Amino acid sequence: MSGENEAGAVGQSIPRLEVREKTTGRAQYIADMSSPGMLHGAILQSPYAHARILSYDVSEALAMPGVVDVLTGDDLGDGRMGAFIKDEHAIAKHKVRYVGEPVAAVAAETETIARRAVRLIQIEYEELAAVLTPDEGLANDAPIIHEHLDDYIKVFPAVCGGNLVSRTELSQGDLDKGFAEADFIVEGTYETPAQAHLAIEPCGALAEMDASGRVTLWSANQSVFRVQANVCESLGLPMSKLRSLTPRIGGGFGNKMEAHVQPIVVALAMRTGRPVKLILSREEDFECVRARHPMRVRCKTGVRNDGTLVARDVEVLLDCGAYGDDSPGVLGYSLLMARGPYNIPNVRSVGRLVYTNKMRFGAFRGFGSPKVNFAGETQIDEIAEHLDMDPIDLRLKNIVATGDTWMGGSVLASCGLRECIDAAREASNWDQRDLPQTPGKRRGMGVACAAHISGLLGTGAIVRVLEDGSVALNTGAVDIGQGSDTVLTQMCAEALQVPVDGVSVASPDTDGSPYNWGTTASRVTYTTGRAVVGAAAEVERQLRDHAAEMMECSQEDLELRPGGLIGIKGVPGKQVSFHEISLRAHWRAGGPIVGHHTWVFDQPTIDPKRAVAHGLPFPQIGVYSFAAFVVEVEVDEASGKADVTRAWMAVDVGRAINPGSVEGQMEGGFVQGMGFALTEEMVWDDARLINPSLLDYKVPTTLDTPHELHTIIIEAAEPDGPFGAKGVGEIGLVPVPAAIANAITDACNIRLTTLPMKPERVLNAMEQAAHGS
Amino acid sequence: MMTQTMIAPETLEDALAAMHAEPGSMALAGGATLVAMMNAGLVEPNSLVALRHVDTLRGTRQLDDGGIELGAMRRHRETALETPFKDGQTVLSYAASQIANPTVRNMGTLGGSIAFNDPGADYPAALVAANATILIVGATGTREVSAEAFFVDWYTTALEAGELVAGVRVPAALVGSIGHYEKLARIAGDFAVASVALQVTWSGDSIAAARIAIGGSGPTPLHLAEADDMLIGTGADSDALSKAGLLLAQAADPVDDVRASADYRRKVIPRLLAKAMREIAPAREAA
Repeated sequence: MSGENEAGAVGQSIPRLEVREKTTGRAQYIADMSSPGMLHGAILQSPYAHARILSYDVSEALAMPGVVDVLTGDDLGDGRMGAFIKDEHAIAKHKVRYVGEPVAAVAAETETIARRAVRLIQIEYEELAAVLTPDEGLANDAPIIHEHLDDYIKVFPAVCGGNLVSRTELSQGDLDKGFAEADFIVEGTYETPAQAHLAIEPCGALAEMDASGRVTLWSANQSVFRVQANVCESLGLPMSKLRSLTPRIGGGFGNKMEAHVQPIVVALAMRTGRPVKLILSREEDFECVRARHPMRVRCKTGVRNDGTLVARDVEVLLDCGAYGDDSPGVLGYSLLMARGPYNIPNVRSVGRLVYTNKMRFGAFRGFGSPKVNFAGETQIDEIAEHLDMDPIDLRLKNIVATGDTWMGGSVLASCGLRECIDAAREASNWDQRDLPQTPGKRRGMGVACAAHISGLLGTGAIVRVLEDGSVALNTGAVDIGQGSDTVLTQMCAEALQVPVDGVSVASPDTDGSPYNWGTTASRVTYTTGRAVVGAAAEVERQLRDHAAEMMECSQEDLELRPGGLIGIKGVPGKQVSFHEISLRAHWRAGGPIVGHHTWVFDQPTIDPKRAVAHGLPFPQIGVYSFAAFVVEVEVDEASGKADVTRAWMAVDVGRAINPGSVEGQMEGGFVQGMGFALTEEMVWDDARLINPSLLDYKVPTTLDTPHELHTIIIEAAEPDGPFGAKGVGEIGLVPVPAAIANAITDACNIRLTTLPMKPERVLNAMEQAAHGS
Repeated sequence: MMTQTMIAPETLEDALAAMHAEPGSMALAGGATLVAMMNAGLVEPNSLVALRHVDTLRGTRQLDDGGIELGAMRRHRETALETPFKDGQTVLSYAASQIANPTVRNMGTLGGSIAFNDPGADYPAALVAANATILIVGATGTREVSAEAFFVDWYTTALEAGELVAGVRVPAALVGSIGHYEKLARIAGDFAVASVALQVTWSGDSIAAARIAIGGSGPTPLHLAEADDMLIGTGADSDALSKAGLLLAQAADPVDDVRASADYRRKVIPRLLAKAMREIAPAREAA
């Protein structure tokens, strides 16, 4: 397709469609919404990590003027939700399983009254021994957090028991033989902390029941369909009784993919018969939504003296928190990524996911990969140092290329990793680097590579031609701020050769939009884009049928012309417009033009001839994007504080539909990865999270962002991708901790294996290195 | 959220009277701290007495002896950029310029900040290093307290109930002295993990006078005359610096918190002192 003259076509960095609405403050987020007669909700959070609920006394709260309803677990049935394991009630029932868990809720005339009233609820608990780490959870005499785990519904072949939620194993080749062939083996244990998503918008929801008993639910979310599923499963509602919608979303990063307060708000709205809105405070959002898993990775890599990687053994221990949520997926995905983008023939990756009495951990940009990447990519550098090889040359000797297989056996139809490495190497002047030296500082450079999928599960698109020839696009994909409305519109406009402002994009609505699993897994551009292209092709087919009849010619003589026209090839003036065609379709022949396309990613993750998998939760996963990052750090000798001074990011995105948005995703991913690497960690004192605020939990701001943050887009087109595109939402974060760690090693000759690499850790390691030498 | 009323008197007398009339009321200066605490539900004052229209709290006054009086309602931005500090007094503008971010610096005030006495805040150590005096006003009159005596304990000052910070008097610094504020924070704009505020006067190749205060490493800023004296007469060589630094580190009373451990804070105090002395080397050469 050409389309290069069309404003906003594929490949152009047009501004976001909603840019005026957002920059002028007129965008409606969940907290901005209200409804006549609306009540306000508030939650009471558990003070215990693990306790049996003996009784509730809600009389005092109910008696408070302005209070309309108090909800507890006793008011609801035994419905349970969960993406992989149905283990979670709408609100704590029988037991509480972490400090901060919602255990009761109030609906009242004002938010102030609601927040006051929850403090009047009396709950009698019997405190139980708590499990605070996966190691404790696996101990023989550990208290059991979910006594009925065996009975829970699971959507994958989970290997579970006790507090073990899932054990997953992936292997290929012969591990023992591989290590026997190795001339050098590097081994280490790596620890990474819980990271808060910190979307700028905290979670919230507004539900209202109509006279027929049907509920309309607005909420901050990454998928109106997952919201619908979670609410209906936990409350025992048929999906036909719940309509799930979305206002504008202020970021997600995985936090809003599965349920937060939506089931509670729906229950309150159904019980009171009035609209109810509940917005979590920042502290509540920290304490009871979800976060990135604390993880321990044991990694062992074997190499021959010529730099050929021959074996890798990875063992992952993942803290699940109190509920399964997306954790089995995160575990499986981290194992799939543990080999890294290298042709290592003998690999085993095995992981365990263990319940603890902490908040649930779940999906977060990178989905387990940044942690195994930190382990694997720092080991590559250790090997390079041992072999006295350039770390980039060592990587180039082992990387995957188009046509190679990924761990498990799926074939890579496109791979621009070599181009990424070459581009980052050249742009950063890696080979002739002469780093500026400042007194009191040490500078170093590091490199890391990564891959990430885009794909997974079902998606669809509906494209309609309106009476005047305008195009209406409806996909069900929630734009959480990353720009998918714009990108999908650009693809639709390109496919039909119409200007972007000739296409409207519908806000997702479970009543009217085709199913979309969600804005997650870096998938919307790739999977929903394919649905858009398929639906547009169906529309084009119908348009051509009309045009052939209207101009009395054969289909083969027709061509799509820019501006919403179909003409006869070789005859410049001979054409009919979408407007004329659509009028005919609406009023005379054929019926209104509607095209749709749905599909589900169906390429197997595992080729049984190449690999063995047990307990893997996703039999089909996706296509692969690739990245190579070079970073420069400056470490302050006085404090050990490491600052990233320059970075070069090369990412293979297949095709950049909107290069400006792609760069934005790369930069945003980098800064969030920098936070994970250097400053961010959720800290518990015993069972209590002690830094659930922006005062105590620090993410990097623009002031901490490197002055030079170079983005390099590599386009190795994915044959099945829409216009060749693959995903970019997560990959910008994945290699950042490893690249920074490798740069710190280069600067200070220390190697850290625990994140965050905060000043204290760096300084202590520098002192040890000085004393050791 | 629960606060029922707010008044905004135009004179200090009216403000004090209003606070006296309504027990449980709180003075609202820039709101950078108080409003955040109210939003977090940590304080619930019955009423707020906003000081923004009290003009007498806003200005600066240059004194005949070279000192400067700063009104309590001076915004951090004004202290950082628009105050004619001289010589070592500049420790205050260095500190003010590193408070939080431009938004907070445009709103937050000198009086509001020091009345709260967050040990990680930037003014306390800088005021002690500048040997400043806190001007306090209350129903029974005014009084002055040295900065060292003003900061009493964690989040506690010498202010009595019903009293307000009216301003700060910064005495003239020694001619040719250099002021500097060295801050270590997790990210730009965070409270200090630890900080070093200092005024140093060189005479040729040796230090003639020094006043050092450590911030972020205990309930109040730490100043030890003995540590100052260890530097006087030396060329700020690493030996002298590490001796003074170690003395300060031993005397510090830091705690473990989410910003850093107590051990780390003790470890970096001497290192930050040495870094601060290195940072002022260009100013010294220029002087």
